[in-house]
Amino acid sequence: MTDGTSSRRRLLALGGATAAGSLAGCFGLFSDDSSNQVGVSLSDFRGSGPLVESRDQPGGTSITDLPPLEGGLTVYLGGGEGGLYVELLDLFQQAYDGFTVNHRLDSSSSLANQIIEESANDATQADLFLSVDAGSLGAVANAGAAQSLPSEALDAVPGSFQDGDGRWVGIAGRARAIPYNSDRLSESDIPNQVRDFPNTGALEGTMGWAPAYGAFQSFITAMRLNRSDGAARSWLESMQDHGITEYDNEFAISNSVADGELAAGFANHYYSLRVRSGRSNAPLELAFTEGDAGALVNVSGLEILDGTNKSELAGNFARHVLSAEAQEFFATRTFAYPMISGVAPVGDLPRIDDLNPPDIDLTELADVSGTVDLMREAGVL
Amino acid sequence: MGTSDRLERIREQANVADRDADEPTVLAAVVLAISLLLLSPVAWVLITASEMPTGRLVELVGSETTMAVTVNTLVLVVAVTTMSVVIGVPLALLTVQTDLPFKRFWTVTAALPLVVPSYIGAFAFVSAFGPRGELADLLAPLGIQQIPTIYGLHGTVLVLTLFTYPYVFLTTRASLISFDGTVIEAARTLNASRWQAFKRVTLPQILPGIAAGALLVALYTLSDFGTPAIMRYDVFTRMVFVEEQARNPDAAAVLSLLLLVLAMSILAVESRIGASRDGAYVASGDRRAGEIELGYWELPAMGFCAAIGALCLALPIGILGLWLVRSTEAAPAGFVFELQHVTNSVLLAGGAAALCVVVALPIAYLSARGDGTLSSLPERVSYVGYAVPGVVIGLSLIYLALRFVPFLYQSLFVLVFAYVVRFLPQAVGTTESSVLQVDPSYLEAARSLGYGPLTSFRKVVLPLVAPGVAAGAALVFLTTMKELPATLMLRPIGFETIVTYIWLVRGAAYQGQAAVPALILVGVSGLSMLIILRQEA
Repeated sequence: MTDGTSSRRRLLALGGATAAGSLAGCFGLFSDDSSNQVGVSLSDFRGSGPLVESRDQPGGTSITDLPPLEGGLTVYLGGGEGGLYVELLDLFQQAYDGFTVNHRLDSSSSLANQIIEESANDATQADLFLSVDAGSLGAVANAGAAQSLPSEALDAVPGSFQDGDGRWVGIAGRARAIPYNSDRLSESDIPNQVRDFPNTGALEGTMGWAPAYGAFQSFITAMRLNRSDGAARSWLESMQDHGITEYDNEFAISNSVADGELAAGFANHYYSLRVRSGRSNAPLELAFTEGDAGALVNVSGLEILDGTNKSELAGNFARHVLSAEAQEFFATRTFAYPMISGVAPVGDLPRIDDLNPPDIDLTELADVSGTVDLMREAGVL
Repeated sequence: MGTSDRLERIREQANVADRDADEPTVLAAVVLAISLLLLSPVAWVLITASEMPTGRLVELVGSETTMAVTVNTLVLVVAVTTMSVVIGVPLALLTVQTDLPFKRFWTVTAALPLVVPSYIGAFAFVSAFGPRGELADLLAPLGIQQIPTIYGLHGTVLVLTLFTYPYVFLTTRASLISFDGTVIEAARTLNASRWQAFKRVTLPQILPGIAAGALLVALYTLSDFGTPAIMRYDVFTRMVFVEEQARNPDAAAVLSLLLLVLAMSILAVESRIGASRDGAYVASGDRRAGEIELGYWELPAMGFCAAIGALCLALPIGILGLWLVRSTEAAPAGFVFELQHVTNSVLLAGGAAALCVVVALPIAYLSARGDGTLSSLPERVSYVGYAVPGVVIGLSLIYLALRFVPFLYQSLFVLVFAYVVRFLPQAVGTTESSVLQVDPSYLEAARSLGYGPLTSFRKVVLPLVAPGVAAGAALVFLTTMKELPATLMLRPIGFETIVTYIWLVRGAAYQGQAAVPALILVGVSGLSMLIILRQEA
């Protein structure tokens, strides 16, 4: 546990990438020893900048070892930062001449609503649902609108990041984190437990949160599951008494922390990495809590919809999204946690196996409704 | 009252000779059918709200948050509407009734802010006046560490007012242009002072015009989500949004009903002001009143026009320009802005404008020519959709389309219908005021010459109301260009527009990529504003 703790507490040495490792090794074409030719190389999937330059070759299954994608798919794509995934869809189309993918981009919950309505009327439009939130995947699965994924796709991913019945699988991890301004606070000012935040003098009146934001609501849902409704409610109330500023999204929170407008905030981890990739000198660091809702690792995930008649192609697509190249894409372009053990997260982020999230079935994050009621009762929404 | 009674009333009101007893019936039937169709999303709201268990319903409606948000929303609506009148009416008076230099130019700058989506205006204001914005950066070297926050009620009122007051400006301007200037001269010869003449002659004449614009401002404020969210002020639409995102359509529907109650109260208030419309639009003389000489007020007046133009146009366009210049990253693959985005937006907005015009004509005609409250009921009904937040229209049309017209689901028809539901009143309003200005005896003359009802309408009425119809079409066009929530939910797969592109790059935090599309949006919509102004001249 102490070992896990030290890695959980590790701060990000952002931007300070060591110059070790050769660039040439990283950008080689993947098709050298391939069983089939694809029209793109690893460097197309990989991002650029100081966080990426010295990375090792990703491990795992290469797309060159997978059956080629052939035909057309329609994907419902949950945004907003899910918009980044449009690039990945584009790369797959470049990789295969005979493959096309149409997408519809909207917020994950709106699309989940829409899929459930369509399914109830036997009018499913899409073959796949890609969502930035496990709760939306869970809602669709619970409504009976998703089918089981092939075991080749499920086997690549740890059990805690997929549905117990194999109806959705995580494709990229999103850890809850505490971005803080290192000019205003030091690491020791951030408590190890979220429950201690309202009693921490250094955080009084200096933090920001985004209660209307889906990721924050999932964090509160996790708190309800991990502790209790009552505990979540009184935590929300005491945070308000402690003084906290409301934002409409967590990228804005991370920017405000970098600016020093806030001393610290509640946000997904990758927003801070994105801020730092644009402003490498910003005094922005990340801290993580331990084993509680504050350490939740939510996932972006994928599910095959019940109404599709292209299950096989959709299953192969899922395997592509979990390939070494695509996982490298998520790690280096969106700064998310890769879901396969062969690909490391960027910078000094702990590997997925070293994370110590709360013991929560991510499908249960679907109960946003109860969370919103509770947040309203607490006067937060 | 039964339908047949209702039709009977309308028939009497329409005051048509016996031989033509069929026409008003047909007109009324058409209008009734349109109204029912327009109200269909409200039917979904009612059905879905009624599915909510009573316990949760009471808890939701009675919650402190609901109370606080109701008060917040009312305060915002009253403040924005009042401020819009305070800015819009003087601008209209200055550009129509005075000898202000460069009147034409100031007219355009006063009307143009309407083409700037208020959420883009809000981003611009936050970028400029936010805690770490451009102004703060400028002042920091001078030792000023902190500037007053832009967030909250005052910032929200400021932004919404600056980008919606043109509704008041345009409607007030229209009534000033159309009313008989000789009346003022008559008042002046009777020794009324300039102020007395304004208060007793001009004001009563233009009051319905002001009220019509204020109504559009109030309902827009009620239904807008983006601006209050960016400016961090809690209103009803945010609660609706949160419930929609939490996949609680029933709660979203209940809250929308409360929103509709507020909207109907606003409509009732406006009806009372607008009720005295005899003479309001009808007395359209050929002569304008003599221009008021501004004298030494000339400079302050121009300063006022310039200040508003600077805040509403120069500032957002300047900020967009900064984003453009500063964005060093090239658009990543999958984020390429194409001509297709523009043509799709124009196609949709054009379709919505055309359909709104066709639908608005019978409604406006019935409302203007009938003289009872019943005949203006459809006109009132057309405003209901304008007050419903876009997400709720989206939810309801997904539901209704899947059940009743599955072959139209995710087609452009449903999307254009959503725009008609939301924006029709803008076309009805302008069309109705043009119809009011047509002397009914012209139509009777045409009929007595043996033309059929449709032919007489086409030959006599249509040419006379064309300017009002065109203005209405242009208003619908530019509002549709800006619409986001319903567009996101109802667009066909793969059909992207300028605003869905802006939404995509904002969500992915490539802010710089939003600059060009936003400037194009403002440019294209700006052209339609010129159409509106040309029709008036």
